[in-house]
Amino acid sequence: MLLAPTEYVRPGSLEEAIDELGARPGARVLAGGQSLINVLKHRAASVELLVDVSRLEELRFIDVDADGSARIGAATTYGELERSAELRGSHAIVSRVAAGTVDRQVRARGTIGGNACFADPASNYPPLLIALGAQMEIAGPDGTRSVAAEDFFLGLWRTVVGPGEVLTAIALPPLGGASVGYRSLQIAADSWALARAAVWIAPGDPIQAARVVLGCVAGRPVRASAAEERLIGGPRSAQAAADAGALAAEGLDPPSDVHASGGYRRAMAAVMAARALSDALGFAEEVASNGR
Amino acid sequence: MAGEGGAVNSIEVTVNGETHRVAVEARRLLVHFIRETLGMRGTHIGCDSGNCGACSVICDGQLIKSCMMLAVAADGCEIETVESLGDGPDDLDPIQAAFKEHHGLQCGYCTPGFLLNTKTLLAENPNPSEAEIRRALKGNLCRCTGYVNIVRSVQAAAEALR
Repeated sequence: MLLAPTEYVRPGSLEEAIDELGARPGARVLAGGQSLINVLKHRAASVELLVDVSRLEELRFIDVDADGSARIGAATTYGELERSAELRGSHAIVSRVAAGTVDRQVRARGTIGGNACFADPASNYPPLLIALGAQMEIAGPDGTRSVAAEDFFLGLWRTVVGPGEVLTAIALPPLGGASVGYRSLQIAADSWALARAAVWIAPGDPIQAARVVLGCVAGRPVRASAAEERLIGGPRSAQAAADAGALAAEGLDPPSDVHASGGYRRAMAAVMAARALSDALGFAEEVASNGR
Repeated sequence: MAGEGGAVNSIEVTVNGETHRVAVEARRLLVHFIRETLGMRGTHIGCDSGNCGACSVICDGQLIKSCMMLAVAADGCEIETVESLGDGPDDLDPIQAAFKEHHGLQCGYCTPGFLLNTKTLLAENPNPSEAEIRRALKGNLCRCTGYVNIVRSVQAAAEALR
């Protein structure tokens, strides 16, 4: 397919990348391109200058500290997340989700930061990063700032990353004995997800704190606060997972499209939440989940 | 430098061992660079949307979809296309021979992608299980074979190469 005319630059440093982005209002960051190239094919966005950050060493790392916290460079590919023994030790769920992302060709090029910045409501990482309490590190002409993942995603294809800024790293706090779970519903191996749920439960019985985050049900990931409130103060039981899951999608009005009706999405979001909670609490049901 | 097709960048790309120094439009996809600029038509365009894997090539050792990458982004990279395998019916690579022997193709349109996928899989894992083969092949679609014979072909190629 023929793309609209554009320009391309591959800066040698993050500083140069920020300069290039700042100098041209029509400039846009190109990372692995596994979403953006299709956007350009459809001419759905007009980009005057592509600033390729995919080879910047400053954005390509996985650092795991002795305390179990991890920092992931934004241009780290899914394949690198999948293969990182350090990350499998500190945040195995991130490696596992990476290993299940699309196919090996996409995993070789696609990046976690590109996925976050694309902010597609059906993506894996937005709900997962919120559930894990991630901090998103952003660099721009005025310096660096750190934004909670919860505040990073604004809506369909929109984040807080402004013109001239680059997402540089994603910091994950230590799990420290917390329990996590992640479930997705896809009708076929290659189809768009209809509902996703990511959960984090603090250590301790009764439950002290919990995050239940749903994907695919709105323009941005949704915290299921009714489900979280139901969990907190209660026991770590299979019944608690089922009860909280049942509350997870209350009040939501997901969009209907060719893949699923809004009502079906809402119903399945509750099921995914219940299963993710059940996994996290150690009462995993043996159900098909497309390898997730 | 801007022309009718937009900016042009000078790149250096090694394809099947031969280094090309050329100017390409920034908007040119790698698959078009391979097929049209270099005239190597073994890399096929199936869906043009990153789903089918017919355009798969090996870039710096990793399988990628060449319709999902700009040619300029391959500057400095080493690309392997299906032309790097055997050179005709009397000179088949063991992977091609296995696909021929086990009917791992019918119309053949998707085959270049499957062959290169198999090459990278077996380089990483010389003895893959059937589940590992099916997982590796997920990004390549075949609308003829139903995949059973492709999986058998990969198993046979693995045995031949071990």
